[in-house]
Amino acid sequence: MRILIADDDVLSLRLLERTLERCGYEVTAVQNGRVAAEHLCRHDGPRLALLDWVMPELDGPAVCRQVRQKRQQVYVHMVLLTSKESKQDVIEGLESGADDYLIKPFDSAELKARLRTGLRILQLEDRLVEAREDMRFKATHDPLTGLFNRGIIMDLLSRELSRTHRENGCTTILLGDVDHFKDVNDTLGHIAGDEVLREVARRMVASVRSYDYVGRYGGEEFLVVLNNCDASASLLRAEQIRRAIASVPVQTIRGPNSVTMSLGVISSRDWGLRPVEELLQEVDVALYKAKAAGRNCVKLASPHVPPNVLPQSLEGQSK
Amino acid sequence: MQPKDPTPEPIVNEAELLARVDNDTGLLRELIAIFKIEFPRHLSELREAIGQGNLKSVRKSCHTMRGMLLSLGATRATAAAAQLEQSGDSSDGAELKSALARFESEVMNLLPALEACVAKAGP
Repeated sequence: MRILIADDDVLSLRLLERTLERCGYEVTAVQNGRVAAEHLCRHDGPRLALLDWVMPELDGPAVCRQVRQKRQQVYVHMVLLTSKESKQDVIEGLESGADDYLIKPFDSAELKARLRTGLRILQLEDRLVEAREDMRFKATHDPLTGLFNRGIIMDLLSRELSRTHRENGCTTILLGDVDHFKDVNDTLGHIAGDEVLREVARRMVASVRSYDYVGRYGGEEFLVVLNNCDASASLLRAEQIRRAIASVPVQTIRGPNSVTMSLGVISSRDWGLRPVEELLQEVDVALYKAKAAGRNCVKLASPHVPPNVLPQSLEGQSK
Repeated sequence: MQPKDPTPEPIVNEAELLARVDNDTGLLRELIAIFKIEFPRHLSELREAIGQGNLKSVRKSCHTMRGMLLSLGATRATAAAAQLEQSGDSSDGAELKSALARFESEVMNLLPALEACVAKAGP
């Protein structure tokens, strides 16, 4: 565990440094309050600190205040170690944001025990953050495939379309559907069906750029949002996805199984400013055409009206 | 009524000091070497501050030296430093000079006492 110690008295600093090194801490020793605050405010700075009160430029309580104000993403456990011993000093020190207060000269055993208390608090915080991140992931991702779930992929799509219109860019939507998926479930069983969906998701993610979004839209339907990608590039990308799925059979517990996907493609550049629902409806029509054309192919949605003609309901929004 | 303990307080509380350095005589030697460099510098700053009547600097120097002395288990000198630090709150020049004299007399024998302690503790 890394720990920062700050004291303008070189002798006390060295004694403290050696004591903590013996306990296995990785010690950063500084003699100045401002330098201490700089270390502690870094996003990868130490999360445990022992601070003297009287220091040049910034005293211990001021360091505590600055760290509490600036480093809010992760908790830093700070202990004031000082020869100021009045009750008023203790109160002032703790009020400044210090978690603990020790009076010099330190008792080695007590110091170690108090630092272990700090470590327990930091470990508890780590577990809470981990649990929060886990819950956040579960709330935004599909448990089977690990892709964005429907709610999140729709939010991301709306956000991307707004940005596209604002910046006069281009967003493309791909809607893919696994062909004859019901047959997979019916003949090979649901476990094999799940394996197929997981592998299809993996191949889709591998076929797009890191800044594109892939989500599970429904049972065997997947939605891809391609950023800054025009119709011709999107068709190539969709074709790449189709080939990635069709080229190698998916391994399941019931043996290898050939899987194909039909895809509809729609580009915001061709369609102009349209509501999300309308674009989704149109890309669904393109997907239906791909199915009707024999499946395992890609179809581009063509607009019925020129892109510069906006529906009345959206004219106000575009201004 | 209990009789007062006739034994005077030692210059250095050796047991406390050795416990603090975890019986690491190498570290103790290192601390003494730091003390030899740092303490005279702070003492000189303190004398200058008293001469100039700069009470803020007096308090600061005393505070730093008290921290060093505490770390070295120098009980009597620590008490004298605390008294001097308190005197820094008053603008009474005579009181300050008298507290400085007491402090200087306490620290005079400190270095030999520290070196005796490290010699006794072994290699």
